[in-house]
Amino acid sequence: MKDVVVIGGGPSGMAAAVKLAGKGYDVALIERKEELGGILDQCIHDGFGTKIFGKALSGPEFAGHFMDEVSKLGLDVHLNTYVKSVNAGGDVKELVTVSPRGVERIKARSIVYAIGCRERHPFEIKVGGTRPAGVYTAGMVQRLVNLYGILPGRRVLIVGGGDVGMIVARHLYLEGVESITVVFPEEFFVGLPRNVQQCILDFNIPFRPRTVVKEMVGKERVEGAILVKVDENWRPIPGTEEFYPCDTVIFSVGLVPYAKKLRAIGAEIDPRTRGPVVNEFFETTVRGVFAAGNLVQIFDYVDDAVESAYIAADGVEKYLKGEKRLDNPVPFKPGSNVRTLTPHRLEWKDERPVVAFLRPAVEGRAWIIVRGGNGEILKKEFRQYVRPSTLERIEIPREAISGAEEVYVDVARV
Amino acid sequence: MSLESKVRKVLGRFPYEITFEIRDGVVFLDGEVEAYEEWVEIGLAVGNIKGVEGVVNRIKWKDYPEEELRRKEERRRKLYEKNKGRIIGEYDVVIIGGGVTGTAIARELSKYRLKVALLEKATDVSVGASKANNGMIHPGVAPKRGTLKAKLNVRGNAMYDELARDLGVKFKRVGSLWLITPRTLQKYRRYLPGPFYKFVSAYIFPYLVKLKGMLNGVKGIRIIRGEEIWKLEPKATREAWAAVYVPSTGILDPYDLVVALAENAIANGVEIHLETEVVGFIREGETIKGVVTNRGTFLARYVVNAAGVFADEIAELAGSREYTIHPRKGVILLFDKELEGWVNHCVTELRFPAPAHTKGGGINPTVHGNILWGPTAVEVPDKTDTSVHPEEIEEILERYREIYPDFPRHRIIRYFAGVRAPTFTEDFIIRPAKWVKNLLHVAGIQSPGLASAPAIAEYAVEQLRSMGLILEPKPDFNPHREPIPRASEMSLEELDRRIKEDPRWGNIVCTCEMVSEAEIVEAIRRGARTLDAIKRRTRLGMGTCQGGYCTLKAAEILSRELGIPISQVVKENGGRLFNGAVRGEEP
Repeated sequence: MKDVVVIGGGPSGMAAAVKLAGKGYDVALIERKEELGGILDQCIHDGFGTKIFGKALSGPEFAGHFMDEVSKLGLDVHLNTYVKSVNAGGDVKELVTVSPRGVERIKARSIVYAIGCRERHPFEIKVGGTRPAGVYTAGMVQRLVNLYGILPGRRVLIVGGGDVGMIVARHLYLEGVESITVVFPEEFFVGLPRNVQQCILDFNIPFRPRTVVKEMVGKERVEGAILVKVDENWRPIPGTEEFYPCDTVIFSVGLVPYAKKLRAIGAEIDPRTRGPVVNEFFETTVRGVFAAGNLVQIFDYVDDAVESAYIAADGVEKYLKGEKRLDNPVPFKPGSNVRTLTPHRLEWKDERPVVAFLRPAVEGRAWIIVRGGNGEILKKEFRQYVRPSTLERIEIPREAISGAEEVYVDVARV
Repeated sequence: MSLESKVRKVLGRFPYEITFEIRDGVVFLDGEVEAYEEWVEIGLAVGNIKGVEGVVNRIKWKDYPEEELRRKEERRRKLYEKNKGRIIGEYDVVIIGGGVTGTAIARELSKYRLKVALLEKATDVSVGASKANNGMIHPGVAPKRGTLKAKLNVRGNAMYDELARDLGVKFKRVGSLWLITPRTLQKYRRYLPGPFYKFVSAYIFPYLVKLKGMLNGVKGIRIIRGEEIWKLEPKATREAWAAVYVPSTGILDPYDLVVALAENAIANGVEIHLETEVVGFIREGETIKGVVTNRGTFLARYVVNAAGVFADEIAELAGSREYTIHPRKGVILLFDKELEGWVNHCVTELRFPAPAHTKGGGINPTVHGNILWGPTAVEVPDKTDTSVHPEEIEEILERYREIYPDFPRHRIIRYFAGVRAPTFTEDFIIRPAKWVKNLLHVAGIQSPGLASAPAIAEYAVEQLRSMGLILEPKPDFNPHREPIPRASEMSLEELDRRIKEDPRWGNIVCTCEMVSEAEIVEAIRRGARTLDAIKRRTRLGMGTCQGGYCTLKAAEILSRELGIPISQVVKENGGRLFNGAVRGEEP
């Protein structure tokens, strides 16, 4: 019987496992692929670790740090292992795993899910047209180029103005594809300003704001795409259709927590984050089952994802020690200017401040305001600039919210 | 009235100068019209005339793709000249087309001592209409009484239990539920005042539907009302006044069936030649001697034309063009497996008469737990037009909203389109060619073609017998075919045992659908050569993430097993998966 099984060997999973092993717990770490590191192995650009390590590492370097920790601690790592089913109902959780070694059962007192996210695909945004070869998601292309050494095509259209799309655009430019254009429905790129400068502007990569792909064209292989301009509500403007010739279309249209496995064990899912509903230690609605990293919500920085894993590890410790919970959990609710908010409730007694992550629905100078049920302000923090594409992190001292029946977190433009 | 004057009368309704000639019941139309829609309409009007056995529509419309057709012709002619002398073999029967019709006929013929070849121009079987339909095994209520369709549909449906069992194809008789709602007879509302409307809709109309079905030979039809409807379909609209319940409706994966038919036919001696395109025929007088393809010539004693949307072109090449296909596209939306249980039957709302643009389709569960909405029915000039327009997606979402008001419509994971192959007479054409002695047409196989397929095969073989083919049963015919085992469906003990024998069973490549490496390798061993062929055989990439994770893994396995560089791996029909230079191989 393990104290805890961590499912997912990416940065969050490794971080949770390392921290728990450091606390002296018997930990098993399960990874689907043949090696640890998660998606970081394909992220050979830099910018990882600025918060944790104070320097900009590449993805493999960042992952390498935790991989070293895992091997130093001699963790029980199961590679190439697929979790087929989980029975998380009781105090003893049971996992059934499948690997080339066979079917195995693992018992554990608690579980941390850190299985990350998946990329949204063109069908989810209702792109029309045919279904030829030459259509990819950005992550797939990153993998293809960096791990397989293959380019997807020569004339490339990238759909989506977020960080991943920009990074892939730069990469393909440097690899020497013939042409690239980036299109997105917003007025300007939605990723980090740093990426706009370093990935797009520095290389003069053409981009078209307020433009989306209406249809794919091509029978066997992509021959092009029909672009259409959109208004500020992203509605296509009739008559602005235009054929863009290319042999490759890459969709970078968002990430979604891969929550189906959590749903399968009965965990409640937040329709806003599309990840699980969690308390302040990232415990899902299934007792003893925690979530960490991009499975909870999409983080902008791997550093924040790792922090979520550390918090979850603290939660596992509290759970394993059987620490007392509050008699009445305090619900956390997003205000009208907040798109997503975690955690969803306060459930434990503790000293440490509550770390909340929120995604604003507005842009500009703003206050982040924490209110109680009666509207009283519990905490206020100023932000020079908030935007929907940037996840905000705020620490709320426990004493500020003690006694509140509900907590609202909102953003107020200045 | 003679056929000639009937045709003249019908053509008189249109503001164009259309000339025609009639030969053995087949009407040939010539002339010019403005729009493609008119071309269809005129064809259908003539096809509808009693006594017309076929319509060859040679009318041109404004955007008639003259140049493209000329190029196609030219290409065929060149391939013909190049390959007519190269003999590949001699066959009793050559079947053209590897869809459900062709493979079903191949398997039926494999019961006899015959040398049979099936020619398919694509890289896999089942890549035309057979892969892109809703997989419904219709009960046979819908076809017009007395048609070949009605007869073969009812018979085909009844044959499926045994066929699916023999072939190891997942098949479920889920039954269908046709809801009668306040919209059902909307068009007649003004003739049916007040409560009379509801009375006729709920108490008379369903019996007419039932009667129609019974006359076609469909058994077990019931009319249900109130709670009984919601017991069967708890989430269907509370507006329903009544429903016609038809228990014999079934569902299956259409490509699963076609692959199974093909594999079983091969096991019983049929040769299947993929990437083999028919470019012409060698004839001696009124008899076909050989089928010329891009790979060489197949000498044949009998030829079966089961070429789907291209059947009219094959008929023309053979010298017996008796019909024209007017391609009719259908768009289908596919929803996430996690919605399993939302819809248990094939459900649709009866509308009479069917509004033209919302004809056909409904909501279906699949044997794997997904839910399908559609298909639509749109006339398209291009036989290969499988594009889906965003407006069409919205149209489908709108159409069935009323019968499943709370359905999570945003959870679409894919959509696709297929092209049906109707002729203007709109019935199946399964008969010996009129002007070529040893050619059998199996054309116009549109819905319910899948449901009818086993009966079509039987009927087609009977036709071949009547054309002189000698059928000597093969005592060692093996009707059974083992499907590729699925890791996701095995007991843990069995999976463990398999992994101990072959660790590849434990390497799960597609996480959404839990597909193991062993399944992929087995699919390749059985003939899958493309990513999509693997997908159809294993469900790899068919889940929530649509291949975001496993596509590259699968490409890697294909590359390894086929011994080709990964850059040569194909998605389907020649579409290379990656179009760029491999780093280091090109400047």
